[in-house]
Amino acid sequence: MYSTKNKILNASIKLFNEYGVASVRLQQIADEIGISVGNLAYHFKTKDFIVSSVYEKLFDDFNLILGNYLLSPSLEDFDKQISSYFDFFDKYHFYFSDLFSNEHQIPKIKEEWNSLINKMDLQIKKRLEFYAKSGFFKEINRNNLQTVTDNVLLTLIFWIPQQKMQSKIVSLFRYKNAIWCLILPYISNEGFPELQKVLNDNNLL
Amino acid sequence: MKTPFIIDPKLYEMSLDLLNDLHFIESKGKLVDFSFFNDDKWLSETAVIENLAKVAGQWDIELLFAMHNNPLKFIKRFIVSYSCPRKATLIASIMRRQAAKDQRGTLVVDFEGIQISEN
Repeated sequence: MYSTKNKILNASIKLFNEYGVASVRLQQIADEIGISVGNLAYHFKTKDFIVSSVYEKLFDDFNLILGNYLLSPSLEDFDKQISSYFDFFDKYHFYFSDLFSNEHQIPKIKEEWNSLINKMDLQIKKRLEFYAKSGFFKEINRNNLQTVTDNVLLTLIFWIPQQKMQSKIVSLFRYKNAIWCLILPYISNEGFPELQKVLNDNNLL
Repeated sequence: MKTPFIIDPKLYEMSLDLLNDLHFIESKGKLVDFSFFNDDKWLSETAVIENLAKVAGQWDIELLFAMHNNPLKFIKRFIVSYSCPRKATLIASIMRRQAAKDQRGTLVVDFEGIQISEN
């Protein structure tokens, strides 16, 4: 059911993306969905409650992506996860200011972000280790593996804001291309047909 | 806001390692592993007969599963024993009805199917 609460949360996400979390007022959110501030206050007493609920939704979505770790041993599984990351980071662009702020108005949020980003980092590292072990990757030493992991993580998180800053087109196609280009040099002969299949399915490279 | 669930990074790393290993350890089953299904398939077409036997002062309930078109193909299984014969009779009939495919009992063993050679 598309309840007023959901409408408020979706409008808040839209406004947070446009103006930043700190600049949005309750009146703006109420205007966005055409309800009164009194009605808004009935559902969420203060802006902090809205912010908390939006973050709850955001973290649930992030956890859902992290929960889909290595469901199948193919490279296609990673491709699906990249698509989910794109949808997530594109939906919540306001995450960008959170990652660089030293403090958050709700300290738990900063803590949760750190925990989730650390999990994401570990997942990427372990996924690449898995691909190396299954023969999809060439022999890769620990330092190189860490560098590739860091690069993939950076691209997954910061590619969208960087492209927006340069007023470039943000699309799933270009996002996937940016990530697979980082991985391509490490693919072994054995893994190449598998990668080719993924790339052909997406018309990439 | 819900209290965030924090997992120790080392523990999380170990669980990811285990998830990775799953793909190396687990392999697809062979068709032979499923042969018990075909071997026991005939049991779904059997008539069930309950049998009470007095053994060491107890009434043993035994169920006899016989293939209705080939009564020579059957198995007998001991289920449970009771000290009271009336209780054993009642439970045996309940068990027969539970075990039989045809609960109304219209599926009967065809004794004519036993073609005993008179030679």
